[in-house]
Amino acid sequence: MSTLLQEIEAQISGLKTGVTRQNVGTVREIGDGVAKIEGLSGAMLNEMLDFGDGVVGLALNLEETEVGAIILGEYTSIKEGQEVRTTGKLLQVPVGKPLLGRVVNALGLPLDGKGPINTQTFYPVEKIAPGIIKRKSVSQPVQTGIMAVDAMIPIGRGQRELIIGDRSTGKTTIGIDTIISQARLNRAAETAKDSTYRPLYCIYVAVGQKQSNVARVMAVLEEAGAMPYTIIVSATASDSATNQYLAPFAGCAMGEWFMDNGMDALIIYDDLSKHAVAYRQVSLVLKRPSGREAYPGDVFYLHSRLLERSARVGEKFGNGSLTGLPIIETQAGDVSAYIPTNVISITDGQIYLETDLFYQGIRPAISVGLSVSRVGSAAQIKAMKQVAGRVKLELAQFRELAAFAQFGSDLDPKTQAQLERGKRIVEVFKQPQYNPMPVEVQSAVLWTVQNGLMDDVAVEKIKDFQAKLTEYLTNRKTALMDKIRAEKAFSDALTAELKDAVTEFKQTYR
Amino acid sequence: MKISKQARRDARELFRTCMVHDALDDNRARQAVAGVVQKKPRGYIAILSQFQRLIRLEIARRTATIESATALPPQAQAEIQSDLARHYGAGLAFQFTQNPALIGGVRIQVGGDVYNGSVQGRLALLQQSA
Repeated sequence: MSTLLQEIEAQISGLKTGVTRQNVGTVREIGDGVAKIEGLSGAMLNEMLDFGDGVVGLALNLEETEVGAIILGEYTSIKEGQEVRTTGKLLQVPVGKPLLGRVVNALGLPLDGKGPINTQTFYPVEKIAPGIIKRKSVSQPVQTGIMAVDAMIPIGRGQRELIIGDRSTGKTTIGIDTIISQARLNRAAETAKDSTYRPLYCIYVAVGQKQSNVARVMAVLEEAGAMPYTIIVSATASDSATNQYLAPFAGCAMGEWFMDNGMDALIIYDDLSKHAVAYRQVSLVLKRPSGREAYPGDVFYLHSRLLERSARVGEKFGNGSLTGLPIIETQAGDVSAYIPTNVISITDGQIYLETDLFYQGIRPAISVGLSVSRVGSAAQIKAMKQVAGRVKLELAQFRELAAFAQFGSDLDPKTQAQLERGKRIVEVFKQPQYNPMPVEVQSAVLWTVQNGLMDDVAVEKIKDFQAKLTEYLTNRKTALMDKIRAEKAFSDALTAELKDAVTEFKQTYR
Repeated sequence: MKISKQARRDARELFRTCMVHDALDDNRARQAVAGVVQKKPRGYIAILSQFQRLIRLEIARRTATIESATALPPQAQAEIQSDLARHYGAGLAFQFTQNPALIGGVRIQVGGDVYNGSVQGRLALLQQSA
């Protein structure tokens, strides 16, 4: 029997090594990382093309007599008249857990000198987003560790929340803080052997960033011990526009692997304005017609198909999720420019960062009025909802009153109290970078300020008071903090206990 | 040379008139070129060079180049011709050439399709897989 099998196998392998059929073309024009190829009548859209010597291209324009392709990597060795072959494969990148802790380029090749990546699984770079049947609404929180975000603009797993603001307003920092917070939570759950906690893996995609910035981000993550849970996909400003255009899609494919395998992942695209610029360059050299601000007509689809791939899938389909945090850099606070409006309309809310607030020392410089989260409140834990429900409104009232109070000094006691409370809330929300806070501490601090227990502390001493209170609660009242974390809500008994703890602390505070 | 959109369009129109039953009519093509040369419409050189390119691609599409290391016997040639005609339809032009670099076997190219059964091709595949 086995000899028969072997015979058939031999026959089949004999057939395989026989005649091969290939579709070929010749390079007619090459320049700016784009080749025009004659022939290639059988090329598919987005198919990989083999230029020989390991050079690979991607067919983007299929025209009547020629194919327009972008070259991935070095293109100076390609000459006019050179033969090009179709491969029948779509562009794909390695995916899986071995990528965690690594820095890779847009094609998934390692850049960190830590050797090859041992994974046999590959995912196509372009993939259709999960459909409506597979999806489920957002219900689990992503604890960013930033109090202003977790309290007022909560993010859920599977949500797409845009981080938007001018240059140097702390956009990347919010992303990095979130990654560090996830790493801490993942590690805490690992050490406590908590099987109910779903670890959140992070992917940071740097598009058109300075090499030094990426190196700094990497150093910060390494120092915080977050690298074992993080993948960095890097297409810096010195990489070709092609690689910058592909990097977010490659990162997304890596995230999708976690989602498809029932895990949770978070992806940060830093930033999509530079991605749009890279895509504009590719489109213009491919001679595609340009539209507004010279962006091609499909720049909206470029971002919508990318961000639609972030989703929360239902239990039947593995219960995984991919949370997207795209970053957009605005010019002089103009959110009504082309790319910002596009991405705002695609995402489920935005965190708007303001230069004025940043220089007033309110950091993170989140503008409470313009920032929203359309779906995240469903994912907020109850304790946070109980204490943070009114904060957004109170802060908005405070801003209005503060503007009004500048003109007159005679204020009734109620208004004055509101102003004083507002000042304290603003102080409480200030937070140094790379210092995420656990959710139980956040809710305890917010409870304290909401219930007037900080009203007799001077505004300039609030930060000090908060720091010492946090220290006191985490070191001396561990049991209470554990209870808040476990119950996820403030019951009457818990409130009384917290009140006692804060009152006790206030007696010792000077 | 920069070929304008209009010239490209005109050349394509001209080319279409030269096609009869999905095959190029040589006489019509000659007539078309003579007509353009005589009338000299705006951008006629661009039109003609684009027209030439389309004709060149069409001829390449309908030409089967059969390379072999040594001359093929007439019977094998006839067999290949009938096989290719069955696959690509009638009206193919056949070109038999010898190429010792193939070492052995046959390499057939019809337009963009290459059927490589040569020893050289197999060696190249082996090199790629190694």
